[in-house]
Amino acid sequence: MEPAVIARDLTKVYPKARAGPPALSKVNLSIPAGQVYGLIGRNGAGKTTFVRIAATQLMPTGGSITVLGRDAVADASEVRRRIACVPQESRPLYFLDVDQLVYLYLRLRGMDRSEARRRTDSVLEELGLSAVRKKLVNQLSGGMRRRAMVAMVLASDAEVVYLDEPTTGLDPLARREVWGAIRRASQEHRTVLLTTHYLDEADALSARLALLEGGEVRLEGTPSDLRARIRHPYRVTVEGVLGRSELQSYGEVSDIASGFLVFARESSARDLAIFALGKGARVSMGPVSLEDIFLQVVGRSIEEEASEGAES
Amino acid sequence: MNRPRHRLRTILTLAYLNGIIPIQTQPLYLVNVVASPFSFLFFIAIASQGRLLGYGVAGGMLLTVLSIGTSLQTDMSHYKQDLKLQDLLVASPVEAPVYVAGLALSELMYSLPAMALFIVLLYLYTSVTVLGAVTIALVLLLVWGFASALGFTLATYFQDVRETFAISPLISIGLTVLPPVYYPISYLPGWVHPIAYLSPTTYAADLLHGAVGLGGPDLTGGAIDWAVLIAFTLGLLVLASLKARWREP
Repeated sequence: MEPAVIARDLTKVYPKARAGPPALSKVNLSIPAGQVYGLIGRNGAGKTTFVRIAATQLMPTGGSITVLGRDAVADASEVRRRIACVPQESRPLYFLDVDQLVYLYLRLRGMDRSEARRRTDSVLEELGLSAVRKKLVNQLSGGMRRRAMVAMVLASDAEVVYLDEPTTGLDPLARREVWGAIRRASQEHRTVLLTTHYLDEADALSARLALLEGGEVRLEGTPSDLRARIRHPYRVTVEGVLGRSELQSYGEVSDIASGFLVFARESSARDLAIFALGKGARVSMGPVSLEDIFLQVVGRSIEEEASEGAES
Repeated sequence: MNRPRHRLRTILTLAYLNGIIPIQTQPLYLVNVVASPFSFLFFIAIASQGRLLGYGVAGGMLLTVLSIGTSLQTDMSHYKQDLKLQDLLVASPVEAPVYVAGLALSELMYSLPAMALFIVLLYLYTSVTVLGAVTIALVLLLVWGFASALGFTLATYFQDVRETFAISPLISIGLTVLPPVYYPISYLPGWVHPIAYLSPTTYAADLLHGAVGLGGPDLTGGAIDWAVLIAFTLGLLVLASLKARWREP
C-alpha cells in the first residue's frame, strides 16, 4: 500500500527566524497508510511544524510533501478534501453543545444532513459522549472537550487525521479516554498522525514512531525497532552495596535516587544482574522505555524545552 | 461532488453556526448591534431638532453594515488565534472565500433587527421611491462586501485578538466619523472634503442620501460614486483573496 504521507527533504524556516536554525531541516519521512504514526519530541522539536505543513496550514520553505499521493503545496485543495486535523491547543466553539459541534463540523465538510446525523449519533455513542450531547462544550471538563474535538474529526470521512498533542494538559483518566478514541480510528484503518511528548502515549498507540529533535529525524521505526537500534537496549537498576566504578564496565551509568541506572547491551545487562545479585544488591532489569531511548538519543529529557530557532 | 451546492451548504451552515445559534443563546447580542447607530441617530435628531433625521437614518444603516466588518474581524481573529478554528477548517474541504462568506452572512444576521427598525423609520420619515430602495439595497450590499473583505484580510494578519481592539476603532473613525455619514458633506470645511473623499463610505453615504430624498449627487456625481464604490469593493475582495493568509507563509 502506498504511504499516506511522504516528506522529502522537507525544510521550514519561519520568516521571523531566518537567523536561527530551521524549524525543520531536510526531514524525510514515509508514513504508512492505515496506522497510527507517532511523532515524538520535545516542545520546539518541530512536530507541530511538520503537522501544519502536512495539513496544508503552513507553507514549507524547501523539499516536498505528498499526502495520499497529492502534492500538499500545489494540490492543497484536493488534499484538504481527504484530511482532518485537531490543531494543537484548539478549543471548540463555546456556544455549541457537543452534538452541534460534531454535526455542524460534518455539515461544514459538505456531508448531507442524514449522513451527518447518522455519523454524529454513532461517534457520540462510541466515544461515550451521548450522555453529554446536549451540554454546552464550555460546561465540559478539559478531557471531555478534547474528546469532543477528536470525535469531530473521527466522525468525518477523512482518510488522514492529524492530532497535534491531543492530550496535553489532561489528567491520566482523560488521556485514556482520548486514547480510546484514537484506537478506534486505527481500527477503521485510517491514518492517524499523532504528535505527543508523552512517550507512554506514543508507545501505547503508535505502530511506528519518529523522534524529532532540532527539526531533524533522529530515529524512526516501530517501537521495538527503536529499542533494537539504540546502543544500550536494556536498563538495569542497582540499589545497594555497589559503587559506580564497579558498574561502569557494563554500560552507561546514571545516578538515580535509590542507586544507579545502567543502560547496557543484553549480554552485559544479564552479566551485571548476576554480578550485582551475587554481591547482595537489589536489581531490576528490563528493556528500555521510550523515555530511556529519548534520553540516550537526545541526551536530555523530553520534558526540557527545545527553544532554539523553532517556532513550534 | 456538486461544488456550488456544497459551497452554499457550507456558507449556510457557517451562518447558522455563528449567527443563529449565538443569538438564540444570548439575544442581548442584537441589542448591542442596535445600540451604537441608534444612539447616534438619537443625538443627531435631538441636536438638529429633527432636520437631520433622514441623514441619521441613512448613516445608521451604513454604520450598522460597516460594523459587520469590525465584528467579522474580531470574530475571525478570536477563532484563528484563540480557538484555532481557522487551522481546523483549512485542513478540510472548506475554502477561504466560503469561510468569509459564511461568517459575513452570520454577522449580517445580527444586524437584521436594526435594519428592520431603520426600514420602518425610512418609511415613516423619508420619501423613498422604488428606485431609491433598490439603490439603498445595492449600496449596503457593496458596503457589506468591502467591510467583510477588509475584516478578513486584517484578521489573518493579526497575531493576537487584542491587536484588533487597537486597530478597529481607527478603522471605524476612518470609515464612519470623518466621512459625512450622518450629515451632508457641505457641513464639513472645504479643506476636509478631499480627505473625506479618500474614504469609500463618503461615496456610499452620498448615494444613500440621494436615495432617501436628501439631495444627493447629480447624474455625473452618482456615476462617480458608483464607480468608486464598486472599484473599492472589488479591489478589497481581490486583495483579500490574494493577500489574506488562509495558509500561513
